[in-house]
Amino acid sequence: MSSKATFMSFLVIGLLITLTLIAAPVTYAITLSFYSLDSFVGDPEWVGLGNYAKVLASSEFWNALKNGLIYAFATIFLQVVLGIGMALVLNQVFFGRNVVRGLSILPYLLPTVVMVLVFKWMVDGSIGVITAGVEWLGLPPIYWFESPLAAMLSVIMVSVWLWTPFVTTAFLAAMQTVPGSLYEAAKVDGTNAVQRFFHITLPMLKPVLTVIILLRAVWMFNKFDVIWLLTGGGPVGSTEHLAILAYTTAFSQFDIGAGAAIATISFLILSLAVFIYFFFFPLDAE
Amino acid sequence: MAQVRLSQVRKMYGATMAVHGVDLVIEDGELVVFLGPSGCGKSTTLRMIAGLEAISSGSVEIGTRDVTKLEPKDRNIAMVFQNYALYPHKTIRENLAFGLRMRKMSAPEINQRVNSAAEMLGLTPLLGRKPGQLSGGQMQRVALGRALVREPEVFLLDEPLSNLDAKLRVKMREEIARLQKKVGTSMVYVTHDQVEAMTLADRIVIMQSGHVQQVGAPLEVYDRPANLFVAGFIGSPEMNLIDGRAEGGKFRFNDLSLSLPQGVRADGTPLTFGIRPEHITIGDGPNSQIFRVGVVEQLGAQTLCVGDVGGCQVRVMMDRTDTVSSGTEMTVSFPPQRIHIFAAETGERLGDHTGSEEAEPPRTSKRALETSEEETR
Repeated sequence: MSSKATFMSFLVIGLLITLTLIAAPVTYAITLSFYSLDSFVGDPEWVGLGNYAKVLASSEFWNALKNGLIYAFATIFLQVVLGIGMALVLNQVFFGRNVVRGLSILPYLLPTVVMVLVFKWMVDGSIGVITAGVEWLGLPPIYWFESPLAAMLSVIMVSVWLWTPFVTTAFLAAMQTVPGSLYEAAKVDGTNAVQRFFHITLPMLKPVLTVIILLRAVWMFNKFDVIWLLTGGGPVGSTEHLAILAYTTAFSQFDIGAGAAIATISFLILSLAVFIYFFFFPLDAE
Repeated sequence: MAQVRLSQVRKMYGATMAVHGVDLVIEDGELVVFLGPSGCGKSTTLRMIAGLEAISSGSVEIGTRDVTKLEPKDRNIAMVFQNYALYPHKTIRENLAFGLRMRKMSAPEINQRVNSAAEMLGLTPLLGRKPGQLSGGQMQRVALGRALVREPEVFLLDEPLSNLDAKLRVKMREEIARLQKKVGTSMVYVTHDQVEAMTLADRIVIMQSGHVQQVGAPLEVYDRPANLFVAGFIGSPEMNLIDGRAEGGKFRFNDLSLSLPQGVRADGTPLTFGIRPEHITIGDGPNSQIFRVGVVEQLGAQTLCVGDVGGCQVRVMMDRTDTVSSGTEMTVSFPPQRIHIFAAETGERLGDHTGSEEAEPPRTSKRALETSEEETR
């Protein structure tokens, strides 16, 4: 087979998979957002932008957008800060470092549902270790999923717990690429460890950090499983964000058109955010 | 500017000793070159002076301060690294200014120092660029400039020219020598290139396997190598070294019989006889022998012949000769004042005879550095 034919065959296979698994469902979902239908079997009725008008006029939508932004920003910020901190610690030479490095990625390796169950047991009213700890400190019991603030904190905590290892691992790997002589030159130049972090590590790893933050942002904005499993969006919609709202609208209230409209808006917001992000943090800087 | 004093400086990696008790005084304003093959401990010693490598035992003093336990930043040294170690995300101006900024120097003073260093090194047009946009030679200059602006007590250079091509290396070598003379700051320079060492150094420290083999001015080391290692390491092409024994005041090996220099009385003991290829003379003279040419290497101004004298392979360097070829036979002689004799067992130089041109008596050793004998066991 000629190299061109090989090239084309790979290209065609890739394109077919992309079309089948991504382009077609996305197109279908966007199409649905212009129709009114209460099940997938009935006849859809064309309503144009009607679903969008209805969604944008509802307070649930704005509440979900606000919750989503709080959740996304809080989790990204904590993941990046904690992740870098852990990477700096794990980059030091100490006894048992490789074991600790291995253990540090464990939360990321476990299925989300397992981690959520573990957390639920930890805060369980009668057997939870965190409950016992709170009691031991003499504090009043915390109702993790009953108050809006505690519920939001729960989903943020579990998400940070789950995905900080990703940031740690990526950052740790990137740190290995910084030549040691740069740190030595900086030591001779009179820097302390904090100055070396801000003058060498951070600028050298800016491209990696840009990608890490972007990936985390996209994932956190669309994150569904943790919230769904922990709180289901409750109590009273306090942890409900756009992905949960789209799901409940489409599959609990069977307003499939409105659900599709919410998903489409979410998609547009994210695309715009990524576009702006790349404008401010271009990957090919310098 | 200051004197640097190393006392019994040692480096251990676990149970392995990488540097064995180095004693050395680098005088104020002196340019000392650490020379040796890979893994001889020269860079490690330099890094211990810099504070980048912990000192296992012994002490380092700069000026009147004991800096053994100090951080690099508190030692008032500046270092040039083999790969330059420029900060890639900073402009050349920021690279030069960084060490001064970290020391909280005032902005006008920083500007003044950066500008004058840039001027001195011809970097002024490049100040706004980033290191990635510079050539190797330019990056080397920036690395030098970064050390220069600091106005430290000592410059430490770790193989600074080994990433440059041959032509640029010669140019930068001259530039470094010129700069060092101009600012008059003590400099420790690490290299594996003997030409760099010979041309730059006030004194050369020759190291091998963590031991200092000899300390001396370049010609002193060339004329009177202290042992077999130094004899073989300094000089290009390498010194001819022939193993034999002393018998009746003569050095003997196979059919070869050469008179020993005065002062060497070592009847019956195994010896190594050494003479540099450029010191063997053509024609009759003392210790004349027949030399049968095997291979001829034309080097331009000179001709290097590899051949046989009394069953030993010998290299002879002569002025350009177009007439020799393989099989040519000629008379060569070995001037006694050019002969080096070493004890074959210990490798130590024997006798006080000098290998220098003037055949002058040996100068009192201004050797400030020796490996400590009891520590080398």
